[in-house]
Amino acid sequence: MEVEPIEQQAQQKIEQRETADLVIGIVAEPDSESVTAIRDTVRTLPGSPRVAILIDDKTLNPQPPDSEASQAGDSTFLVPWPKLTPDAAGTPMLSMATAYQSVFAACEEFGAQGCCVVASRLESVGPEWVRQLLLPLLGNGMDLVAPRYARRKFEGLLNSSIIAPLTRCLYGKRIHNPMGPDLGISRRLSQKMPATNGSGGSAVSRGNPLASVAPAALCNGLQVCEVNIGARIYAPTDWTNISSIIAQVLSPIFIDMERYAPCWQRTRTSVSVSAFGDPVSVIQDEGSVDISRLVESFQLANRDLQEIWGLVLPPSTLVELRKLSRQPVEQFRMSDDLWVRIVYDFALGHRLRIINRDHLLKSMTPLYLAWVASFAQALASSAESTLEQRLERLSVAYESGRPYLVSRWRWPDRFNP
Amino acid sequence: MWGQIKQALAQSTAQFLTRLASLLPGVVALILALLVSITLGCILAAVVRRLLAAIQFDQLLARWSLPSLAELSPANSPALLVSRAIAALVIVAGFLIGIAAFDAEWTSLFVRSVFAYIPNVLGAALVLLVGSMVARFLGRSVLIGAVNLNLQYARFVSVGVKWLVGVLAVAMALEHLRIAPGIVKLAFGILFGGIVFTLALAVGLGSKDLVTKSLERDARRASSENVEEPFRHV
Repeated sequence: MEVEPIEQQAQQKIEQRETADLVIGIVAEPDSESVTAIRDTVRTLPGSPRVAILIDDKTLNPQPPDSEASQAGDSTFLVPWPKLTPDAAGTPMLSMATAYQSVFAACEEFGAQGCCVVASRLESVGPEWVRQLLLPLLGNGMDLVAPRYARRKFEGLLNSSIIAPLTRCLYGKRIHNPMGPDLGISRRLSQKMPATNGSGGSAVSRGNPLASVAPAALCNGLQVCEVNIGARIYAPTDWTNISSIIAQVLSPIFIDMERYAPCWQRTRTSVSVSAFGDPVSVIQDEGSVDISRLVESFQLANRDLQEIWGLVLPPSTLVELRKLSRQPVEQFRMSDDLWVRIVYDFALGHRLRIINRDHLLKSMTPLYLAWVASFAQALASSAESTLEQRLERLSVAYESGRPYLVSRWRWPDRFNP
Repeated sequence: MWGQIKQALAQSTAQFLTRLASLLPGVVALILALLVSITLGCILAAVVRRLLAAIQFDQLLARWSLPSLAELSPANSPALLVSRAIAALVIVAGFLIGIAAFDAEWTSLFVRSVFAYIPNVLGAALVLLVGSMVARFLGRSVLIGAVNLNLQYARFVSVGVKWLVGVLAVAMALEHLRIAPGIVKLAFGILFGGIVFTLALAVGLGSKDLVTKSLERDARRASSENVEEPFRHV
């Protein structure tokens, strides 16, 4: 992995500290109480490993916070570290990628055997989460510890609709949150990660270490597991920026599809990964939701974006979309097969660079909103078990559509239904 | 009298035939030059096409994020565009060589002025090509952005932007070719101003509804706290 040069101040800290067995990167906005709680929990890890806790150097108290700890011979210590807090106002996914890269670089510099990244808001992260994410790295020789959050129906929709089922279909392992964002990663895995240099290229043409974590682990035959943790707090939707977010999330996933094509084309079926901890359940919201805005957005796009969709989608899909746009809001349903084919066609369009990649991914937003509307309509008043069944059906549809993807990927000109 | 007429007719016929005969080598040379240049152009085009295919020129351009060039090319292949352009250049050069073979003063003047004009033509072609690519790119950016913002007049704004950039590019190209510069400037001013005015009117009138809806939405949001959408995407 290409490691970015670290700042002098951080380098001095490492030289003072020499080494650590584990590194914890707090990528979320830190608050002192949560950090103290995490520190207390880490002290109870078996074998008392030396743990470096990285906190963004701009938010950490100027007074060295670990002086007291070093006098007491504490095995955990705080380290101010550059580029850790994502810039929510600018391009959050890109600054998130930089933050992850910074933590991986620290893991390498400290010579740690693994690292844990805490990216969810600290109000939702219990100190126990960090312990759960670290334990499989220490005791079970795991290389990737992915979180399995207790999920509400309408949270993490981009993950439910594309990221998780696509990862399962391509790489053959059923990981519920392959892009975390809270993760445990071994040093072995961080070294196998492809270089995702942040310089050069457009915002969507660069890689993202977060998207590459699961594919890199699975294609290199490393050990992957999940831990059941609680519900995380998701950021509210910024409707004016949703297409940029979708482009920033999907582009690195599609780039990895190209990178790991020889690997995923060998996959035949999917299996579960080992899970630690007991599943946590949450109370699901009841009642109907208003999907008219989502449907309107799709209908408008179906009217105006035909020339762009026509470059990416085959005629049969366009016909089905036209039919879908004529459905009334109350009966609005997008079939799983149609959605899966759309995702595969956009992945292929991204690979072939049929049009500018940023345009391509942003033009997918109304289709994604149509899927969200259909999903919400189907699940509005259902229980948690129905949610799991619904998502399982979608994942199976992704797997059933694999031959379509493989055929179009291998012979894009010849195979065009 | 009749004899004089016959003599004049014979003289003019002889004069015409002599001039035609003196032109004949030039005509033959022109035909020959054209034939050779067409053959050479076709061979060169085929070689260039093969070479570009070997270095995967189309894919290379796509990787450099220039897919709009492919859209402007025949059969979506910039390699084909380049090879055909080279063939056309060779044929034009052959034609000019053939014209110069007439060895008349006006032909060499014509050829000299054509050669002097070539940089202008190339510059204008480049301006048109870049302008068309930029127009297409901006038009698409605006269309997708406006659709994602749920603007009902997205297509109209996108077409307006495309026309603005297109008109600008055509005016610049004509200016470069030095074709009726006064008229071009005037026409460009009128057209550009007209498009901007139309867009301003359309957006202004269209946004009246948008602002009303937005205010209504804000008012609804203030009156009820439960309108926040439950969807969380990332």
